[in-house]
Amino acid sequence: MNTKSFSFNLSNPVVTISLLFGMVFAFGIYATSSPSSGINPSLFGITLVSGLFQGMLLFLVASGLSLIFGLMDILNFAQGAYFMIGAYMTWDIQNLDTGVPFFNNIGSAFPDPNIRFLVALIIAVVTGGVLGFILERILLRPLYSRPLFQLVLTFGVSLIMLEIIKAVWGTNSNAWTSTIWLNSGTFSIFGQQDTTYRLFVIAVGAVMMIAIALLLRRTKLGIIVRAGVEDAEMVSALGINVRAIFTLIFTLGCALAAFGGAVATPFLGVKFTMGSEFLLAAIAAIVLGGLGSYEGTAIASILVGFMWSFTQQFGVRPDINNGIWFSITPMLLLTMILLLRPSGIFGKER
Amino acid sequence: MMINPPKSRTQEILDVLWEHKVYIVIVGLLVMLPHLIGWLTESSPFATARGATVVLRGQSGVWQAIFIEVFALAIFVMSYNLMFGFTGVISFGHALFFGIGGYALGIVLQFGGIENIDVAFFAGLGAVFGLCIVFGLFIGLVSLRLRGVYFAIFTLAVAQIGWYFVENWALTGRDGGFSIKTVPSWIDSIQSRINLYYVALVCFVLVFLFIRRLVNSPTGAVLKAIRENEERAKAIGYNTLTYKLFSIVVASVMAGLAGVLHGLLNKQGISPQLFGVNYTVDALLMTIIGGVGTFTGPVLGATGLHLADVAFRDRIIEIGGVSIQLSDSWALITGLIFVLVVLVFPYGIVGTYYRVKLWIKKKTTSQAPPAPPPHG
Repeated sequence: MNTKSFSFNLSNPVVTISLLFGMVFAFGIYATSSPSSGINPSLFGITLVSGLFQGMLLFLVASGLSLIFGLMDILNFAQGAYFMIGAYMTWDIQNLDTGVPFFNNIGSAFPDPNIRFLVALIIAVVTGGVLGFILERILLRPLYSRPLFQLVLTFGVSLIMLEIIKAVWGTNSNAWTSTIWLNSGTFSIFGQQDTTYRLFVIAVGAVMMIAIALLLRRTKLGIIVRAGVEDAEMVSALGINVRAIFTLIFTLGCALAAFGGAVATPFLGVKFTMGSEFLLAAIAAIVLGGLGSYEGTAIASILVGFMWSFTQQFGVRPDINNGIWFSITPMLLLTMILLLRPSGIFGKER
Repeated sequence: MMINPPKSRTQEILDVLWEHKVYIVIVGLLVMLPHLIGWLTESSPFATARGATVVLRGQSGVWQAIFIEVFALAIFVMSYNLMFGFTGVISFGHALFFGIGGYALGIVLQFGGIENIDVAFFAGLGAVFGLCIVFGLFIGLVSLRLRGVYFAIFTLAVAQIGWYFVENWALTGRDGGFSIKTVPSWIDSIQSRINLYYVALVCFVLVFLFIRRLVNSPTGAVLKAIRENEERAKAIGYNTLTYKLFSIVVASVMAGLAGVLHGLLNKQGISPQLFGVNYTVDALLMTIIGGVGTFTGPVLGATGLHLADVAFRDRIIEIGGVSIQLSDSWALITGLIFVLVVLVFPYGIVGTYYRVKLWIKKKTTSQAPPAPPPHG
């Protein structure tokens, strides 16, 4: 007889998730309302869309981080740098008048901006994947017996990549100036207008979310990966080349981060701090979701995205810079989760 | 059977001194350094009054500044090594304490509004150590629940919050930072740099001796046991949290002290950089280059890297007609060294030295009993 009953406690993921989303939405309604005009549904609605957009971008960084950590116990600190590589390359290839001549020359071969964007996207993703492959194969492989040094190494690689980006593209932040079909239109929701590009990113994020879920649930590779998350040694004992799977997933994760950067740049532009912002927020998301849990990462990314957009609407004290909430929210969230429930929503109690 | 006659007290002391002759020579050289360089380059190690202002000219002052920075960094790196090398706790946020050192002292001196400047200085020191103990206790208590990667993430997040906080704080000049204009004249980095030099030297020697004494004590043995296997240390019956807490708080206070010395030397530039990831990276890199879990390694790492920094940062190299200003790519170079060292030189200078020594010993006396892992 099935006696599975619904229990109302925090170890039940459904309860935790509803509670968290409830709290975030309540905060969002509060943050978007003002004392003079009361609750402002149109501002709340547009902030919600903006949050979903940021959550999807975050998901693209966080999913790779989560897969890599779940499978091989490496927290890839360089993930933010891969995000930036994707963003900078796409931006440079697309915007012909700025950046490095080399990438501008690639861009000028494709006069049509829409096709150029597609090409830039592909080049960025492939570069991210190749760099990820190199990192895993050449630098991380010798260190599997020394996990602390692996952590230290990815940290060092992220610094090198950041410095290379600074050396090649400078330290100024740059806006996206090219008009493509995707960011030319507007849509309106709750009486507020916004660019259609947000909808495109949300759609792309949703497609990727489902695609990775299908990859993990419905393919042979997915079964191996999920088994590897449980116990990589056992999988290798069954005669499966786990090392090759490691390389594949690491490459995939880095390519995903580069893809995230590539689709983010038409909206966010480029600046050299975007990598660490997204990396730290992605770490917050995967810890909140439970390290190694794919579903947790997906849900938590969107949650962090909402928190980002709501706190940006939150009135701030005049003596503190406005931008601080964007940077500090994921950090506060991360420290609080680590203090209160280090295993996250879906993680097992350790 | 011969029984050695008991050694006299003086003989014992002489033996101990002879055993540590290298250290004594080095400390002696460091004590004489300002005068030695002053004598060699015919510059005064003291500042001279010129009209209403006090100036410090010549090589002696320059080298004093370089070595004050070396002492500050060495204290910082030794404190990091106490956590990473001897307790096995990896922190990515050690710069937090370095920053607290500079900022708390600067804020009390500059904005504290205390009339008596010496009182303000010691109140500032009190604030630094108080804050370091509070934050050290906080981070240490968290280490009960969080291990390895989780602890590293946590410390990184806390340090980043500190960084964002000072970067957006109007009082301390946001991202531009501020300068301490009121420093007691007896420790001012211009008027009496030589005093600051000797204070820094004394702090450095005391921290070195303290860590050596601590690690060689029974407490240190437990710390090393935690590093090797925390579960086992717990199973034997040690309250590992207390020991980790102790190690982390001591390391935090030492890092705060390093921040104070750095802040006193660079009193014009108390900026959010002090909280930046760069200082944590420096600590990690210097520890690993020198030798993780050794006494002299962090000191060698800090000295070597800072001297290299001074010597090469402003150089311009020509490669095939292209001139590269090294200061532009300094962070890139340190990053590359960092990755290379982690990959091919993980035991560092001192660690490798002891390994080679052990290996030669094994070759010459093949049936020698296995020596315990060295900690020099």
